[in-house]
Amino acid sequence: MSLPIREDSDTEETMGPRSSLFRDAVRRLFRNKLAITGMIIMGTFLLTAILAPLLAPYDPLQQELVMRRRPPSQEHLLGRDDLGRDILSRIIFGARTSLQVGVMSVGFAIVIGAIIGAISGYLGGWVDSVVMRLMDIMLAFPALLLALAIVTILGPGLMNMLYAIGIVSIPAYARIVRASVLSIKEQDYILAARAIGAPPSRILFRNVFPNTLTPLIVQATLGIGTAILDAAGLSFLGLGAQPPRPEWGAMLGQGRYAVFTAPHIVLFPGLAIMLTVLGFNLLGDGLRDALDPRLRT
Amino acid sequence: MTRYIIRRLLLLIPVLIGISIVTFSMLRLIPGDPWEVMLGEHATEQAIAELRERMGLDEPLPVQYLRYVESVLRLDLGRSVKTGRPVLQEIGQRLPATIELTLGAMLVATVVGIPAGILAAYRHNSAFDLATMFGALLGVSMPIFWLGLMLAYVFGFLLKWLPPSARLTIGVEMKTIAEAWGLSSGPAAQSSARIMTADEFFSGFYVLRAILTTNWTALADVLSHLVLPSLALGSIPMATIARMTRSSMLEVLGEDYIRTARAKGLQEQMVLLRHALKNAFLPIITVIGLALGTLLGGAILTETIFSWPGLGRLVVDRILSRDYPVVQGSVLVIALMFVVINLLVDISYAYLDPRIHYE
Repeated sequence: MSLPIREDSDTEETMGPRSSLFRDAVRRLFRNKLAITGMIIMGTFLLTAILAPLLAPYDPLQQELVMRRRPPSQEHLLGRDDLGRDILSRIIFGARTSLQVGVMSVGFAIVIGAIIGAISGYLGGWVDSVVMRLMDIMLAFPALLLALAIVTILGPGLMNMLYAIGIVSIPAYARIVRASVLSIKEQDYILAARAIGAPPSRILFRNVFPNTLTPLIVQATLGIGTAILDAAGLSFLGLGAQPPRPEWGAMLGQGRYAVFTAPHIVLFPGLAIMLTVLGFNLLGDGLRDALDPRLRT
Repeated sequence: MTRYIIRRLLLLIPVLIGISIVTFSMLRLIPGDPWEVMLGEHATEQAIAELRERMGLDEPLPVQYLRYVESVLRLDLGRSVKTGRPVLQEIGQRLPATIELTLGAMLVATVVGIPAGILAAYRHNSAFDLATMFGALLGVSMPIFWLGLMLAYVFGFLLKWLPPSARLTIGVEMKTIAEAWGLSSGPAAQSSARIMTADEFFSGFYVLRAILTTNWTALADVLSHLVLPSLALGSIPMATIARMTRSSMLEVLGEDYIRTARAKGLQEQMVLLRHALKNAFLPIITVIGLALGTLLGGAILTETIFSWPGLGRLVVDRILSRDYPVVQGSVLVIALMFVVINLLVDISYAYLDPRIHYE
């Protein structure tokens, strides 16, 4: 008895080449209005960061003390800060710092976390036990507290903050990659690769690792948002970016004593942080919905 | 169940050792001479010698570590470089404020988050559902220190409904619990207590203290001070609890037994609260427990904004003034609290769902 052949588009999608799964995910992503909103916000943020010198109406560092704390006006759309600097220009340049912190700390965490997770999951045994206990120890601290402790050791500053946030984020990526590797390493194609004598490093990086990318991409998108928030928090406390560098959290920290007399100084940098993090969260949620294999069935 | 708890407690041992190594290393990893960093460039020879002696810096590292663990087990976390007082005393004086704030935030988060999640699930895809979910997304995207500043500005400054900072209005008097109850809290009790008296510690919980001393004026004042910081700190768990309640309820509301309950003609309220919520509660409890732990981290920022004299602010103040023994002790205490909370969450998880068998 032969099975009836379905001649609808599904057949091609499910039976077609690997790229159709990708196309399927992209289509799902672009159908999600919230994800598109996230992409627009993220795109605007990226462009602002890249084109900051062209977009900023004033020098973000130029002080004019006689004009300090001036409210928004036609010349200075978002007003001036405690030292008379243009807030809009500082927010535009602040996007650069936030992008730098978000991408670099998450990049650092992914590289270290993925290597740790992949080795731990692939080798198993005592290596896995030791590595996972180490990750448990890191997770035994509230993230912000651990980041604070690391900054205490390294000293305040943008780069040290970047390392601190990166280190704190490692366990999340290590766990994701380890879980993926554990589920992938018993698959037939990995056995086949082993059978033909491929060395473990080749199997790990050529066969196993590419298949862990989906959950990593989702976590990284959400992670950049979290990193930006944490960085803003540390800078707010005076432990991250140091003056006069324009950074959103530091702008809030320096302006917080003026909140009752000149609320615009803290209102706009806060909105910038919220909007950017919202963009990454919306896109991250959208990516998860689009890429999650459970939704494909 | 007992076996699970024992297993879970045993798993705690490497984590506790790890925490102690991390906090021990903190002081040793600071670049430069720790005594110089802590005491400043103009420190006297005698002060440096005392600190070296106290920290046992001339011993080999493993010996230093064992000494550290031993002193922690004796509840000796060293002395503050800034005030000279025992670190544990400094922490003990600040801890009640942080616990009170954390519980306040959790109360706000659950009281708002759970009903919002239930309603959003019940009116799935309605305007309320969309608004709640968007609000929850904003909640997790918002920097709590900014929300705190804005709340203080709007409700504390513009509308003048609530005090924008501190724990108690200056001039509002409160007796300590022991004073009100006629118990001894004088010099004799203080000298017999090694670190601080029970009265000193428990009187740090202002809400409890106002209730136990039946001082209603102070209670109203304390509660009014607690509202804004709790709202700010509770915003993130509120959002995560609402999201989790909604998704958990949505899953349960599609089950057959809910249809059966409705078919029996039960009131909708009964179906929602007795049949659905009870079964949807497990993931919600987990989120609440985990959020309670992360609130300890969030308290660092909230306390700074609202001039709240808690443990978080103590850590930040002492990092900036390089009083590292206090920072080290506070990090240890917060991490231990975090671990204990996570342990309780895990145990409650196993207790609430008998279907779960831990291997």
